[in-house]
Amino acid sequence: MTLAVTKTKAEQALSHNFEAVAAKLPGGAAVAAARKAAIGAFAALGLPHRRIEQWKYTDLRTALKEALPPSLREAATPRQHEIDTGLGPLAALDCHRVVFVDGGHIPSLSGKSPSAAVAIGSLAAALADGAGDGLGKREVAGQDAVIALNTAYMTDGAIVRIAAGATLDKPLLLVFARSAKEGRLVTTRNVIEVGAGARATVIEAHLGLAGAASGQANTLSAVTVGDRAHIAHVVCAMAGDASTHLATTLATLGEEAVYRAFQLTVATGLARNTMAVTFAGEGAKLDISGCFLGRSTQHIDTTLVVDHAVPGCESRELFKGVLTDRARGVFQGKVIVRPYAQKSDGKQMAQALMLSEDAEFNSKPELEIHADDVVCGHGSTAAEIDENLLFYMRSRGIPLGEARAMLIESFIGEAIDKIEDEALREALADVARARLAELSGARP
Amino acid sequence: MLEIRDLRVKLAEEDKPILNGVSLKVPKGEVHAIMGPNGSGKSTLAYVLAGRDGYEVTGGQVLWNGEDLLAMEPDERATKGVFLAFQYPMEIPGVATLTFLRTALNAVLRKRGQKELTTPEFMKRVREEAGRLGIPDDILKRPINVGFSGGEKKRMEILQMAILQPSLSVLDETDSGLDIDAVRVVSDGVNRLRSKDRAMLLITHYQRLLQYIVPDKVHVLADGRIQRTGGKELAQELEETGYAGFRGNALATA
Repeated sequence: MTLAVTKTKAEQALSHNFEAVAAKLPGGAAVAAARKAAIGAFAALGLPHRRIEQWKYTDLRTALKEALPPSLREAATPRQHEIDTGLGPLAALDCHRVVFVDGGHIPSLSGKSPSAAVAIGSLAAALADGAGDGLGKREVAGQDAVIALNTAYMTDGAIVRIAAGATLDKPLLLVFARSAKEGRLVTTRNVIEVGAGARATVIEAHLGLAGAASGQANTLSAVTVGDRAHIAHVVCAMAGDASTHLATTLATLGEEAVYRAFQLTVATGLARNTMAVTFAGEGAKLDISGCFLGRSTQHIDTTLVVDHAVPGCESRELFKGVLTDRARGVFQGKVIVRPYAQKSDGKQMAQALMLSEDAEFNSKPELEIHADDVVCGHGSTAAEIDENLLFYMRSRGIPLGEARAMLIESFIGEAIDKIEDEALREALADVARARLAELSGARP
Repeated sequence: MLEIRDLRVKLAEEDKPILNGVSLKVPKGEVHAIMGPNGSGKSTLAYVLAGRDGYEVTGGQVLWNGEDLLAMEPDERATKGVFLAFQYPMEIPGVATLTFLRTALNAVLRKRGQKELTTPEFMKRVREEAGRLGIPDDILKRPINVGFSGGEKKRMEILQMAILQPSLSVLDETDSGLDIDAVRVVSDGVNRLRSKDRAMLLITHYQRLLQYIVPDKVHVLADGRIQRTGGKELAQELEETGYAGFRGNALATA
């Protein structure tokens, strides 16, 4: 039986817009065919809605009122200082930088590959070469429509390959800046492969430049962490208060690999950060942490799927949210432990600090455990600022606004402290602090 | 001078009167003790002086150097020199003790139009005072009061007092939970702050603390009223007779 569902205006536009731009998208015949198949799949699926379990709290079909035209990089190339301004505290970090503006690689703003052992390239170029890069099979339950749109529309992104045993001497900063004066859909995909025993820190910064219109972004990062490799992957989403940001991170970890992911989401109208990690080798360790800071009617959704597919792996998740006005935070944390995956160790914690009565936090842990010798735990809290602590601080002369800011900062500090690189940790703390100052202004 | 005039207070949430017309004066340079049985309203008085929410003042006045203390926000009171040493100091995860002390001191100095201390000046002052109170350096780096023992928390209150140099100190059951050595250290800390420019109010159930911090006057608070006022010898008398004679309104004017 086929159920006829009326397509929304946005769904129609997403299908329709593809025809107009398909010929201009990078890649040879094989890529074009993959795109076509993907947009066909999307047409059948439609935008995810609340009756799909993974989108229970984030009904994209309702939320996405319109689909913006895909970006074809019509805006002029911004200057370095404009990018730096957009990066804020991240600009001062000593990094290898690769810049994408409106979904296109800007070589003039990007550094070169730092060494023979570290290859950094553009996805658009790779697609044109027909190497099949970035076209690997990507599947996560419930995420298929968003991934299909990414495949259909992706214009560019970074391809990063770190050779076995190599160490990236300083962090790699991938900048995704929006500059268009008209709202655009920007679709990017990154492929990050860290060879066996290699070490690297990769930062993604998603931002809007001064004067840019709000936009829509669909970004996907596919990360492969080799045996005994160590990667810190930090994502800072500050796309703009009215922007929609759909981010998918798919990671596979080899034996005894270490993957430390951090996500800071601020200043985004609607954000859905999906992160799916699969343990493919035994003894690997995963740490996913993050902060989300929402105000106004912002909606920030963090959805994690951790698959303990092999024995003896450890996963840690810690998310801290600060929500004010009518902002809504969503945390969905799924942990799967396969029947054979004994000695799995998973811990999950999601906490929100509610600064207004109208803010909302939905937290849904989901443990799917099929092995018997495992340690798995989860917790979730939503609380207001402790008035007793505020009074204690004020009785020492600390003004209300400052006391609130200190308490909020200490609340998210536990998550930010998970970032091991000190300069990076401080820079992200600064980004968060600036946002918190707006969120927590003194209220008499 | 602290002047409390016919202060009447009830819980904000329920119609339960706690203070039923407290009147007392503490001139600068004097230390007064308020003693009383459990539930007499001692802690309520301390909290109302510091400006804690949850209480409703239904009548009376509190003047500090002639200014209406009750009209001020808690941080404003601190700026005016009011300090409450808590019976149960709060634990604040994620806020290092040094950061807390420095933020408080600078806020108060700033509001008073005085110059903030430089880091070396501040560190010198904290180390000096902490040393006198037997507070080890490593504790200053830990989140304030988190995981501190009862004695450490009380010493930390006195450290804060020493750093902020208040002109009106209200000490709520500062000796509770302290062993005799700690009582001595804490008392020494309080006595160091005694001066002709400062007024102090010691709230205590037992007279033990008053052997170390000798008050100029002792007030007995029971049933939400000052039932009797006397010299330091009154504390000793209470130790022998207990508070039984002060319970119930029938005895209030006896």
